[in-house]
Amino acid sequence: MAHKPVREGHPIVFVITHWINLLAMLFLTLSGFYIHYPVVGGWMGWARGTHFFWMFILLICLAFRIIASFFVKTTNMPGTREQDRDIKNWLPQAANRHQMWPTIKYYLFFKKDYPISAKYASLQKIAYLATIPLTLLAAYTGFCLWGPTSQWAFFRVGTNLWASWFNFGGGGALMPMRVLHYWIMWVILIFTAVHAYLANIYNFAPSKMIFAWIEDPDALDSH
Amino acid sequence: MTQEAVKEASFYERLSHRGVSRRDFLKFCGSTAAVLGMSSAMVPTIATKIAGAAESGLTPALWIHGGACTGCSESIAQATYPNVADIVLDILSLQAQETVQMATGEYVEQAQEACYEANKGAYIMIFEGAVMTGLDGNTLRVAGQPLTEHLKKICAGAAAVVAVGSCAVDGGWTRAYPNPAGGMGIGEWMAQEGIGTPCVNLPGCPVNPEEIVAVVVQALICGDLTQVVASLDEFGRPKYLYGSTIHDNCPRRGHFENGEFVYTFGSPEEGKAWCLYPLGCKGPQTYRRCPMIRWNNSVSWCVDSGGPCIGCANWNWVDNNAPFRGRVRQVGKGVIGGPGGVSPVTAASVVGGVVAVALVAHGFGMKAAGRIGKNPTMKTETMKEYDRKRLKKEAK
Repeated sequence: MAHKPVREGHPIVFVITHWINLLAMLFLTLSGFYIHYPVVGGWMGWARGTHFFWMFILLICLAFRIIASFFVKTTNMPGTREQDRDIKNWLPQAANRHQMWPTIKYYLFFKKDYPISAKYASLQKIAYLATIPLTLLAAYTGFCLWGPTSQWAFFRVGTNLWASWFNFGGGGALMPMRVLHYWIMWVILIFTAVHAYLANIYNFAPSKMIFAWIEDPDALDSH
Repeated sequence: MTQEAVKEASFYERLSHRGVSRRDFLKFCGSTAAVLGMSSAMVPTIATKIAGAAESGLTPALWIHGGACTGCSESIAQATYPNVADIVLDILSLQAQETVQMATGEYVEQAQEACYEANKGAYIMIFEGAVMTGLDGNTLRVAGQPLTEHLKKICAGAAAVVAVGSCAVDGGWTRAYPNPAGGMGIGEWMAQEGIGTPCVNLPGCPVNPEEIVAVVVQALICGDLTQVVASLDEFGRPKYLYGSTIHDNCPRRGHFENGEFVYTFGSPEEGKAWCLYPLGCKGPQTYRRCPMIRWNNSVSWCVDSGGPCIGCANWNWVDNNAPFRGRVRQVGKGVIGGPGGVSPVTAASVVGGVVAVALVAHGFGMKAAGRIGKNPTMKTETMKEYDRKRLKKEAK
């Protein structure tokens, strides 16, 4: 994210879903940490309720975001207001081809010039697309642990497979699944840290856009 | 009473001679119905089935010991009215039980052999303890040969095997690291030996007598063991006994939801019988019905007596659940239960910390490279590296 974004790149509907995602991640992480180990007493019922509530919100938001990407239009390249269906810009575009390695080289300071990129750079696209299976995996492991669903065959199979692989043997052991669920949260945290860092390292224009929908006056000139 | 008189007496007369009243027996049937998840309307059916079975043809059974502490036998000896010996022995014709018959020596072996010959394919084998496979089975020798040799014959000739206790199910504590005796569960061992006898698993350390009684009563209600076997879960356990966690039914669950926890032993919170979750209680991950069945004639159970659940009905429970007062075991070691490893929390925190430090360092690099600022001095490449190299190659 080396360029200043324009409003057409991030329609208001996606600003809202981004807010929901952020809040969901925040509440899920905080309540999850508390459920993992209640550092102070008194809040377990609250933490569990919060966790389940935001889990459903996050899943609904994810489904909405994916469906909306087929209908909502976003800019297809940096430095333009020209739009295309968002799904086309979310998935790898022609400009992304052969650009992963140059992008890595750029960020490791082995390359001076910023690589040609599509709406997002290659690594960005991989990361943003990876959030889908990552969220689904977090949800799946969560449903494996959640009382009302833990006995469903679909989730029990996963619990048993993971338990066997984790060397705990069978017997529907839930602790390996707890550990996996916990680790996935860390992966999401790491993604968020890298995402926030790379989005804002050049300037804070991306944050102003995605949180307040404010476009820098020189947005198009920055390219 | 003489043996003949006992045989001729009705079931209820026999119970009364053992100090068990009809009311006591019906109470017992009520608790068994509860264990099986049935309504009290089923109590007369259960009573009739047990009495009927006790007065008709008895099912021959053998109680075989593997590598065990005999704690499961002890657990059953603790049962009171009508004790499991009354129920099980009156329904099953138990023809050998090595702990009880310890002093009779080779006569037990003869009884086993006689039962095997006379009832091939029809007897129930109750197995307690782990199969000891170390040193070609010589880590446990019985009557002059490895137990595994006896088991090959006895398991193959049984109508069904009932594995009582964690050792019999998966090796239990006998199998804990480093397991030099090669302890393993009877089901796993039979599969390895190609013996197809159905196996009912009742994990727990020890087994609760009411769990055995529940299986016997279920078999009586269903007519035979076939339906019992068909209704087991994917790990060979009766679903009604292992379908919910300790945590689901824990009397301290309300304290968990309220966030009322015991953080240290000896604290006022412990005196208030609050939730033991922070002390490493394995209740949330352990499938068993201890809070409902309880122990020693339903007097108490681990959590009621102040101890966190240590998850004794879990697979390979000693290795997987240690430390018993800690939240989770160490991960990342080559052998489960072995030395070394890190906690999942440490592993995740270290990786997260490394990423955070790397990002900060990278930020300094970006600053040094002049890429940071309101209008960073950055230039986008004019042609992809790939295309440049391709064109160069084509030009050659």
